[in-house]
Amino acid sequence: MLRKTFKIPDMTCTNCAMKIESLEDDLDGVQEINASYHKLEMVIEYDEATLNEEQIIAAVRKKGYTAIPA
Amino acid sequence: MSKEKQPSIDPVVIVTLGILLVAIAVAMIAFPSDSNSINIAADSGLISQIIVAFFTGLTTGGLSCLAVQGGLLASSLARQIEQDYVEQTAQNKKKQKASIRTNSALPIALFLLSKLVAYTLLGALLGWLGSYLTFSPMTRALLMIAIGIFMVGNALRMFNVHPIFRYFSIEPPKFITRYIRKTAKGTDTATPLFLGFLTVFIPCGVTQAMMATALGTGSMAMGAVLMFAFTLGTSPVFFIVAYLTTELGAKLEKFFMRFVAVLVLILGFVTLDSGLNLMGSPLSLQNLTRNWFPSQAEANPVADSAQGEIILNVQNGGYFPATLKVPAGQDFTLNLVTDQTYSCARDFVIPALNFYKLLPDTGTVQVTIPAQKAGSTIFFTCSMGMYTGQIVFE
Repeated sequence: MLRKTFKIPDMTCTNCAMKIESLEDDLDGVQEINASYHKLEMVIEYDEATLNEEQIIAAVRKKGYTAIPA
Repeated sequence: MSKEKQPSIDPVVIVTLGILLVAIAVAMIAFPSDSNSINIAADSGLISQIIVAFFTGLTTGGLSCLAVQGGLLASSLARQIEQDYVEQTAQNKKKQKASIRTNSALPIALFLLSKLVAYTLLGALLGWLGSYLTFSPMTRALLMIAIGIFMVGNALRMFNVHPIFRYFSIEPPKFITRYIRKTAKGTDTATPLFLGFLTVFIPCGVTQAMMATALGTGSMAMGAVLMFAFTLGTSPVFFIVAYLTTELGAKLEKFFMRFVAVLVLILGFVTLDSGLNLMGSPLSLQNLTRNWFPSQAEANPVADSAQGEIILNVQNGGYFPATLKVPAGQDFTLNLVTDQTYSCARDFVIPALNFYKLLPDTGTVQVTIPAQKAGSTIFFTCSMGMYTGQIVFE
């Protein structure tokens, strides 16, 4: 399991964090996502054998946000 | 992708609607004489409080609640809309627009119904709790100031003024958001019902203010009725905007959020100012401007000040004269005269003297004001910090 932090500069409310956390259900290989509107970031724990950084960034983009590796 | 099927409704129409509703509320407050007609019942203060709660909901409450709870409603609608969209696209692309419109109304209605029930119960609970607590005007003033700061902070957050203001938005604990998310996945009628109920955990600033008022009633029934009236008031705006937002998408949402931010900012300052008034602070806008422009303050038609008696007319529109000039260094009696007064002006407070009394709608109440030094000022206000005045000792 790998743990990575991404900056999400375009979150505008706590609901955005909730939307990003919903990737837990949509993306295979995700163990846990903690998104924070206060910090404008998300910490994702994932299985690097199933998922990579690009896929995560693409999934976040699909939700309407920009993920930048911290 | 879905932009092509958007109806051509100008966001300005929505904003105009909001402004119109705010104007109605302002008119209701500015012309309280109209309230005479609705104050026939013996417990008229109660009724007008309910009406104020309803109109607060109808105007500002609906908008600010939507800003905070809109996401939750969107979650409950998202799946529904997504499902309708997929189903209709598969069946017949031409019919998809009508289908989305038809189906999004029901979840919104269920969501709002559930919210109404939840807040009524919350009001009952707060009223019941309030019966065990007594709020002094000072406590209420501090509460109002805290709410005001919270609202201003939230508005500045919406404007993205500084990262620090993000902390004015309370992040619900992870287990709650996860639970909401799992629930929002359902497409049955229970989902919007449940999510509507969950809104009690994310009340907006105006709702929080109303919750404080419900707490202050000290009555289970009154607390419930007050929150019911307020939440009912929020429902039409909530419904209209939520319905149109699902149709118009993010374009309107962004525009709408700015509008809400402006409103919340104004309301925040008003609440803050009311709190300062209720504290008897000379720094409130009303008290400051009265001192800066003394000509605006009404002169002192003091009656019998030589005999140590003075009259203050407590009317639906405030206190007249707003400035009382009295001789320093001697006690005097302040006669508070009401004549069919039903507005909150009846709830008379002199913060510096820790005096608080609900005046009769018609009659005279005497208050002894102790001697003060020359040049000092004592402020008085209604319990909501709306109507104010001052006693100047010279």
